Amino acid sequence: MADPSDEQANKEDYADFEARVKRTIYIDQLSPQVTSQVIKAALEQCANVVNTEFIVNYTIPYDIPAAALVELDNESQAKAAVNLMNDFPFIIGGMPRPVRAVYAKPEMFRDRPRKPGLKFEISWVKQGDPEHDGMVKLKGLAKRQEAENMALIKTQLEAENVLAAQQQETLDANYKKFDILENIMQNGNIKNLAQHYKVKLADD
Amino acid sequence: MDGSSKNIQFSWGKRRSKGGAKMDTQFYGSFTFDNVKYSLYDCVYLFKHGEPEPYIGKILKIWEQNQAKKVKILWFFSPDEIRSYLSGPVMEKEIFLASGDGTGLADINPLEALAGKCTVVCISKDERNRQPTPREQAVADYIFYRFFDVGNCTLSDQVPEKIGGLEVNDLLNPKDEQVTSYTCQDVQGVDQKLGVGLVAPLPQSAVKMDNENLVTAVIPPMSDAIPLPPAVKEDDKAKAAAVSLPPAVKEDGKAKVAVAPLPPAVKEGVPKPTQNIPKRTEKDYSEKMPSKKLKLSQDLTSQSMAPVPDVKVRPGPLEPLTRQAVDRSKWFTPLPWDEELLAADEGGRLVYIQNLDIQFGASDIVELIHEALQQSCIARPINHPTYDDPNNGKAYAVFRSKKAADAAILKINSGLVVGGRPLYCSKGLLKVPKSSGALVGHLTITNQRMGQRQREEQKKAVSTSHCSQPNTIEYDLALDWMLVREKQTRKFSILHKKHKEERKSFAAKIGK
Repeated sequence: MADPSDEQANKEDYADFEARVKRTIYIDQLSPQVTSQVIKAALEQCANVVNTEFIVNYTIPYDIPAAALVELDNESQAKAAVNLMNDFPFIIGGMPRPVRAVYAKPEMFRDRPRKPGLKFEISWVKQGDPEHDGMVKLKGLAKRQEAENMALIKTQLEAENVLAAQQQETLDANYKKFDILENIMQNGNIKNLAQHYKVKLADD
Repeated sequence: MDGSSKNIQFSWGKRRSKGGAKMDTQFYGSFTFDNVKYSLYDCVYLFKHGEPEPYIGKILKIWEQNQAKKVKILWFFSPDEIRSYLSGPVMEKEIFLASGDGTGLADINPLEALAGKCTVVCISKDERNRQPTPREQAVADYIFYRFFDVGNCTLSDQVPEKIGGLEVNDLLNPKDEQVTSYTCQDVQGVDQKLGVGLVAPLPQSAVKMDNENLVTAVIPPMSDAIPLPPAVKEDDKAKAAAVSLPPAVKEDGKAKVAVAPLPPAVKEGVPKPTQNIPKRTEKDYSEKMPSKKLKLSQDLTSQSMAPVPDVKVRPGPLEPLTRQAVDRSKWFTPLPWDEELLAADEGGRLVYIQNLDIQFGASDIVELIHEALQQSCIARPINHPTYDDPNNGKAYAVFRSKKAADAAILKINSGLVVGGRPLYCSKGLLKVPKSSGALVGHLTITNQRMGQRQREEQKKAVSTSHCSQPNTIEYDLALDWMLVREKQTRKFSILHKKHKEERKSFAAKIGK
């Protein structure tokens, strides 16, 4: 497993990988309709996109927004992009929900190379061992935490839905209002109304 | 992923003329790549990294110069690519052949860019085109009868005399009924411009398989049963023979058709990149096929105890990820991982492991399983960066057989502890709902009174990206979202921190 030339190659691989991580940003809250072309065009103003990898959802049993790891030319571009998206609501492919960008972390890459020096110790704890109980409890803890996590995700998604519905309502109402205004301007009713309420239309 | 192996099978087929200014270019009529035989005028897939749908093209020329192997590809356009020039109905499975002159007609690509063959049948009523049988048309991956002139950007169903300097006869249906063969593979490509301009003389029609392959493929379907021994002997045969299975599923064992889909190499099958599985029925068929193929050869190898070829093939799909794709716009690195997952799940070989250290990469997990269980597998961590708890690393592992997977689950659950973390696992794919088309929070204005043009404009407008400026309604709404998000991020980080603390204190308590 660990002969020197291998280790060296590993280290280099990992160093390359780390460099890549530094210039990659993680964008989420993306619409599932967004393609890599769209992302490339969107980021053109501050960065050149080398590569886009969409994250496939394997674990969350809900309808979640899309996400992508976007590799840029260099670290400064990554900084610029993240800052831009944090300062201003950056909209990609649909309004008004903005996307979010953070710096990428190694764990986000699903096909990352071995981290040199990462050791894992394996032990078998069977029934009857003194530690067995503890392990079982730890397992239970892990499962419970999973459930808690999922519950949090669920409530958040629900909150998002509520906000979206609310915004849609406001938008529709506003739109209707403007529509009515435009109509009466167009078909001249506004003149009648002005006359009726004895309000001057023009500003003279 | 580490270990970029360069051992993709390759061999040249028919030699043709030599050419080039320094007589250093050798032209060929066919070659075998990754155990798929490609000939001139075959229709092929090429993937672009990040794009769900592959590009389709026709091989016009094959050559090698200065150790570099290249193919010249004449492009087909999908309806989406030329949507703005299309009017009227589009047939199912219809694509459009490029014609005329200009960019977008054809490109030179490294041979390694090819991702498999497909069948494209021409249904033009032109007298030069051999009319396809209804069956040919039904089993074909795609059909075409219209040409898109890249110079004028016009669509026409008139068959041009020449395309790209070649007589159009070679580009229409070959004289003999084609044996279809397809399925994509994992490869990549780099594009460059080469100025080799020889017109290749016309080889006689592109029968996709030469006779010997035909024979091997014909024999199994006759039995209409699983071809056991041949499949085990070598990878090649296995792939050829395994063909008979899926056709039996679809076509009620019509032997002739069973010959048709001769699958190429890699057992891992169609590397359809992540999300979109193409909707064409033929393609769905091809999706099913590799998965059955996998199961089949899987069972065979485990029965006859010849694990070696299998293991060698296994790491296959992991490799392509290290090959890069440099631009022009058509090159790819498709991911067979998702196909692999589906196939494994069907075969009962998929295990979902939890509570790993999130730092473990794919190869770490593979090694872990190897050390702990003396089993080999392919594995990948699958945490979702936004939502998953970073204290609990999750991964999918695909084992070589159902028995192996079952055994692994039992052993792991009975008490495998890695670095103080007891792992637990279960069988099968998690149910993840398909994402709905649009994002929650993307608002639309429901207004019926817009004309066609206005609607298109609006569609375009919505899809442009921008930074929201403070003088719009949108800005306020967007800020609402940012607020919600900020709250969410904090909630998550608090929860995850709490989890971490809990785990630490718990572990301390039980004295580990």
